[in-house]
Amino acid sequence: MNTHPTDDLAAFSIGALDASEQAGVDTHLALCEVCRAEVASFAEVAWGIAELAPLVAPGPTLREQVLDRVRPRTARVASTASRPPLLDGLRRIFDLKVPLAVPLALALLLAISLGGLGSARADADAYARAVAGVADGTVVTLAATAGTEARGSLVVPATGDPYLILRLPAPPAGKTWEAWVLRGEQPLAAGISGDRWGVVTLVLSQPVRPGDGVAVTLEDAGGVAAPRGTIVLQART
Amino acid sequence: MERIAAGDAGALGEIYDAYGRIVFAIVYRMLASPEAAEEVAQDVFHAVWRRAGAYRRERGAVRTWLLAIARNAAIDWRRTRGKRVEREVELDAATAMRADSSVVDSVLLSLRAERVRDAVRTLPPEQRDVLALAFWGGLTQAEIALRTATPLGTVKSRVRLGMEKLRLHLAEES
Ligand SMILES: [Zn+2]
Repeated sequence: MNTHPTDDLAAFSIGALDASEQAGVDTHLALCEVCRAEVASFAEVAWGIAELAPLVAPGPTLREQVLDRVRPRTARVASTASRPPLLDGLRRIFDLKVPLAVPLALALLLAISLGGLGSARADADAYARAVAGVADGTVVTLAATAGTEARGSLVVPATGDPYLILRLPAPPAGKTWEAWVLRGEQPLAAGISGDRWGVVTLVLSQPVRPGDGVAVTLEDAGGVAAPRGTIVLQART
Repeated sequence: MERIAAGDAGALGEIYDAYGRIVFAIVYRMLASPEAAEEVAQDVFHAVWRRAGAYRRERGAVRTWLLAIARNAAIDWRRTRGKRVEREVELDAATAMRADSSVVDSVLLSLRAERVRDAVRTLPPEQRDVLALAFWGGLTQAEIALRTATPLGTVKSRVRLGMEKLRLHLAEES
């Protein structure tokens, strides 16, 4: 073990180190119980400082909003366009409040993968992974079931919510597109497109972990708790 | 945290009930805007929901983890959406804001805060200032050095000495 970063531990506890220093301390802490104990005692002080924040109450609806965001039934459809030209749709996507830091190359990539280039899909996929590495996140192109016009990509940013960028045909009356996270055999409802179609960004209301699958099905309007409709898009991470 | 990681929204509700107010208060203190604070507090609990699986008990208490998420979220918000709030930061702004009619008080919390406040008063002003810039201003030591035209080494030792003094003071009292 290297020497203990003793002088940095107080600053670490209040987040005052720059990124590289912090990463160094983080790595050391994983291995060193002595420094972990030191950080824990400074963390108590930090919490004490936090408690000096004037206790201004949040609005009465904050709790509901917090819980709403994680309930599948009320999953947000972050952005939609009824029938936009593709790039227009993409521009709207990048207006989102979602913490996106998607570089231009990734935008182009998404345009390509959403274009559904048929035989070029495998190429688009490889390109996706290459670019996603640069983008510090992962893009997985969803496989489309034969016969569907739907196309989509799963984006798992390094920080922030995983989301789907979808190009969806208009659902039949009384139906909606619904997203699922497949954990093992268990499908978890992860949001609906509602009455929106075209290019749609759907922020998943479930986390996506390595090994999880993602699927999109056609379901009764309002969404259902367990999928009954046919899968039109799917991928396994 | 295990329950949240397993997708139990009720468990997230419990965390919100325990920490919602303080998280809101922290980001409000950092951003000085109730609208921004509501938005960021939402993001904080959403991040808790998504990252609960990554929480490691042996790496610190839940509230420490939560505090780091809250501070980072506020700093991110300021970087991406907020105009940088350039104003005097004091380590303890309570006196200025206590008059606010929306202030809620919890007796237990204020007793504890009183002890910390006493400890803060014992700090030399230059240590108090760097801690405030770091904690509430969300600045790194290097940024503080630049901002205050102080050598980095001096800033670092002020942070360390200030935190050590607070720790000592709080330990003596309990
Ligand atoms: Zn160590």
